[in-house]
Amino acid sequence: MSDYILELKGITKIFPGVKALNNVQFQLKPGEVHALMGENGAGKSTFIKVITGVHKAEEGEMFLEGKKVDFKGPRDAQAAGIAAVYQHPTSYPHLTVAENIFMGHEIVKRGMLQWKTMNEEANKLLQQLNADFDSTAEMGTLSVAQQQMVEIAKALSTNAKIIILDEPTAALTKRESEELYRIVDKLKEEGVSIIFISHRFEDMYRLASRVTVFRDSQYIGTYDVNGITNADLIKAMVGREITELFPKPEVKIGKEMLRVENFSRTGYFRNVSFEVHAGEIVGLTGLVGAGRTEVVEAVCGITKPDSGKVYLEGQEIHIHTPSEAMDKGIILLPEDRQKEGLIMSWGLGRNVTLPTISKYAKSGFDNEKKERELSKELLEEVDTKAVDIFQPASSLSGGNQQKVVVAKALSQEMKVVIMDEPTKGVDVGAKAEIYAIMGDLAQKGYAIILISSEMPEILGMADRIIVMCNGRKTGELSREEATQEGILELAMEKGKNAGKEAR
Amino acid sequence: MKEKSLLKKITGSREALLVVILILLFAIVTALSPSFLTPKSLMEVLKNNSVTIIMALGMLCVMLVGGIDISIMSTAALSGMTIGMLLKYEKISNTLLAFVIAIAIGTLCGALIGLIISRADVPPIIATMGFMYIYRAMAYLVSNGGEWAGAATLGNYKDFANKSFLGVNSILWIMIVCYLFFFIFMKWTRTGRKIYAVGSNPNAAEVSGINVKNIKLLVYTMMGFLAGLGGAVHVAVYASAMPDLQQGGEMNVIAACVIGGVSMSGGRGTVLGALLGALILATITRALPLVGVSALWQNMIKGVLILVVVVVNVILQRIADNNALKGREM
Amino acid sequence: MAGKSGRSINNVPEAPLKKMILSWEGILVVLLVLVNIFCAFYSEFYNLSSLLRQMPIYLAEVFLLLPMAYILVLGEIDISVGSIVCLTATMSCIVCNTGAPFIVVILTALAVGAVCGAVNGFILTRFTELPPMIVTLATQIIFRGIAEVVLGSGGSISATNTEGLILLTGKVGQVPYILFLLVVLAVIFAVVLGKSTFGRRVYAIGTNRLTAHYSGVHVQKIRFIIYTVMGVCSGICGLFLLSSSFGANTTTGKGFEMDAIAMAVFGGISSTGGKGNLAGGIISAFIIVCLRVGLGQRNVHAQVILLILGVLLICAVALPNIIGQARRAVKR
Repeated sequence: MSDYILELKGITKIFPGVKALNNVQFQLKPGEVHALMGENGAGKSTFIKVITGVHKAEEGEMFLEGKKVDFKGPRDAQAAGIAAVYQHPTSYPHLTVAENIFMGHEIVKRGMLQWKTMNEEANKLLQQLNADFDSTAEMGTLSVAQQQMVEIAKALSTNAKIIILDEPTAALTKRESEELYRIVDKLKEEGVSIIFISHRFEDMYRLASRVTVFRDSQYIGTYDVNGITNADLIKAMVGREITELFPKPEVKIGKEMLRVENFSRTGYFRNVSFEVHAGEIVGLTGLVGAGRTEVVEAVCGITKPDSGKVYLEGQEIHIHTPSEAMDKGIILLPEDRQKEGLIMSWGLGRNVTLPTISKYAKSGFDNEKKERELSKELLEEVDTKAVDIFQPASSLSGGNQQKVVVAKALSQEMKVVIMDEPTKGVDVGAKAEIYAIMGDLAQKGYAIILISSEMPEILGMADRIIVMCNGRKTGELSREEATQEGILELAMEKGKNAGKEAR
Repeated sequence: MKEKSLLKKITGSREALLVVILILLFAIVTALSPSFLTPKSLMEVLKNNSVTIIMALGMLCVMLVGGIDISIMSTAALSGMTIGMLLKYEKISNTLLAFVIAIAIGTLCGALIGLIISRADVPPIIATMGFMYIYRAMAYLVSNGGEWAGAATLGNYKDFANKSFLGVNSILWIMIVCYLFFFIFMKWTRTGRKIYAVGSNPNAAEVSGINVKNIKLLVYTMMGFLAGLGGAVHVAVYASAMPDLQQGGEMNVIAACVIGGVSMSGGRGTVLGALLGALILATITRALPLVGVSALWQNMIKGVLILVVVVVNVILQRIADNNALKGREM
Repeated sequence: MAGKSGRSINNVPEAPLKKMILSWEGILVVLLVLVNIFCAFYSEFYNLSSLLRQMPIYLAEVFLLLPMAYILVLGEIDISVGSIVCLTATMSCIVCNTGAPFIVVILTALAVGAVCGAVNGFILTRFTELPPMIVTLATQIIFRGIAEVVLGSGGSISATNTEGLILLTGKVGQVPYILFLLVVLAVIFAVVLGKSTFGRRVYAIGTNRLTAHYSGVHVQKIRFIIYTVMGVCSGICGLFLLSSSFGANTTTGKGFEMDAIAMAVFGGISSTGGKGNLAGGIISAFIIVCLRVGLGQRNVHAQVILLILGVLLICAVALPNIIGQARRAVKR
């Protein structure tokens, strides 16, 4: 009855305070590779979780081979032949590959597990995928790429008809990506339908026949890959004139504040150098896993770099602990608000004053009155939508949590402000407010480093853009010369010129 | 790549390493004191440590799901004391019945702990600490306020530990049966593997439909079963029951597991490892006086051994991680 | 600042009195009163002066509660303290028997305790991957092992020079020194945990270690300090045990770590970190001490008191969880 193996209509998913999906539709043809694209926070991951039964949509219908289905949980989806391979594999690190593959559908004879058969079956699957490891290897010792392969093998072992790959290439090297492409081609030949989520245009052109674009939790359109230009696709994904939304103030750029020279840390980044001036916003971008966060964490003393120098206002400084960086005025707003930025069960006030309590304490004891006044003042300054300073941080929406993180930074003496993905998981309205705060800070003469994966944000806010790829700085662009394509090219430098020295 | 596989072998085959250590220990001790490697002496080692060796199995399961149980010796005392008193006052005389009663009491005790931990979300260390007090006090109450059940009052029961079936000592039989059962259960049954899965990644286990709460209940119940059995074995081996039997012994059991490579955070550990850990501990205990080191040093050496084992583990892991980072393409 | 709406955020805290009555500490105070009433009815000898007279033997281990509360708030555990108590009592008894001035004996106890605590702290901060439970399990065996070696085959030592030790058991009027010292230390520890910047940081580490690290809290330094202080307090405990029993043996202080943890947890300090305060812990310690004195006067065996303690402990942790679950179930 239906041309489609999987069809979703009018899907709406609401999280407290946020509409994660708004009347979204999707069609998957049998045996096709269908790319799903969109910016961070466009709703792709939520959509996948609706398909796999992890989330239940508030509205909408789902048809599998023309029949309406209603998954109560992930097991239902699995039984119906849908398998998902996530970016961060959800496996059992202590168990063997074979066990991971067969967990939940082990081969059992008279109550006894048939290890030999399972290992053989697993090896067969792994051979199909050209894996370079054995089914008896321990999962935790494998690389991310190899673990992904195991997850794909697991999907195959359940005889999945639909396999969803969620940003599978993000953590892979060029060679590993090639291997993955080959696997996907092979699966396609065998009649498996594949949904492929990726940020990389390269992946899409190489693999997909059709592409569906989401933006701001909404369905934008489905296109033939051959029939759409790069520019049109980007426009569909971004969908707005970039520069207008960003209140970037004209600021006279002052003297050099922070300079980083030849920063290296084994396995994370190598020979990274850059500088940032007073009043300047420097965008630091690149694909996930390019080493951006790791660089600034090393600058701030969260981790230790192996070599390299840091200069603050021309003077070389040595930072060993986060508190030393803070004392010198280098303030980091970490990427993960809930795990690194805030103590979710604490009141807002205490969160704001955590880094600075000793500054206005009387001989080691809190001056609670002063603390309450200060936190109220700072929270109001960033216009946090909160009732009182005692309510837990977990009661706020993402955007307001981010404002609390900003207030926490404001409580300190700042010179350099480093914002790591400040608008991740923040809805559009709150985004604009955070950009406004960022502009204000620049106007006040602070040097700002903005780490972001969101192209429009980088293009809209940054005076200068530094691009990283695979732990190296691959280029630097001024505001004027920067374009989406230019940045993307630098961000995938490695992919295009494998082995060549970065420029 | 070659380097990596070598490291994998070292960290991966914990049991092989332990076997080598055990053989070395045997060799050294025998060289210094030939009387060690006689069947009688070895039997003595096994019998004196039978309670630890048996209970290490249960602790393995508990630690695999990321838990801990420090109440086990109290459970053993309660079950051992109960049968001791029953035998003393001649309520029962059958050895098998005594074992069944001890095991039943232990299983009940364990199930109660499991219920409290899995259903009321009490942290394992706190729950088992509470039951450590409770069961020990109950053992004391059962003993009418501190009576002993000495060898003279235990009737036939005390002979059990010296009996042999098919030429093998009965206590040894119990150990063999327990280890065989657990070896098969942990490796070859779904339930056994579910225990590993829950310990390795509880969230993934929940998502893939494993009832995490029931698995937790199960492991504490099994621990209780073995603790009850351990209590009965203790009474048989030492031919006496007293309310403070094996006090503090739970640390030996935990130590055996840790030396045997069972991880405290769950997911890692094998039946063979637990056995080897217990045997190494037992050998050291036995060997020290034989090689002329005062038995006083026993505990200190045991403690240092545990510390060295866990620290070396961390260092090896760090080296492995570091090598993995160096291998990353940039 | 841009987009400022002039929204006002309340920063006036609730009336503290209302909060206090409904809190766990409030319940504990009521329980303390009830326990005292019960003891007074149960034992005809139970009154203030008999309480003060018989209290000291039970008070020594309350010194362990104070730093143990910090360790639990960190979300960690230290099960080696009983052994540190044993080792400090042994060492200071040996020093005492040499006829050294009593101040040297005191310093020995504190120093031995501090070194043991620092060893724990060093290992735990150097190898942060290791769970505290396993490290302190190992040092528990090691510290007592050292004491066993030092004590030799007899397994015990008696104080021959008791002059100084008797001094420690002195009284002001009816109030023993140990109670004075305990109250002073308890107040200091409670205030530092509840009101100081150090205490705030301890809670931060116990609630979210990563955020604390990112916010400039010296996580490892604080952990090291706390484990060392734990050792020092074990030294104090060991000293008072020595003074009350005029000697030490291989079982001195056995199980004290569990008692200290039980007092803290019963006092509302969560073993998973970040919750509770010392006031609750101290009240619960006194509940247990009063119960021990009262029941002890009628020769109720210590084991029965432990039974009561075990039941109370499990109920204190399990009941709130069960009630919470029931409430959620009803809501659905």
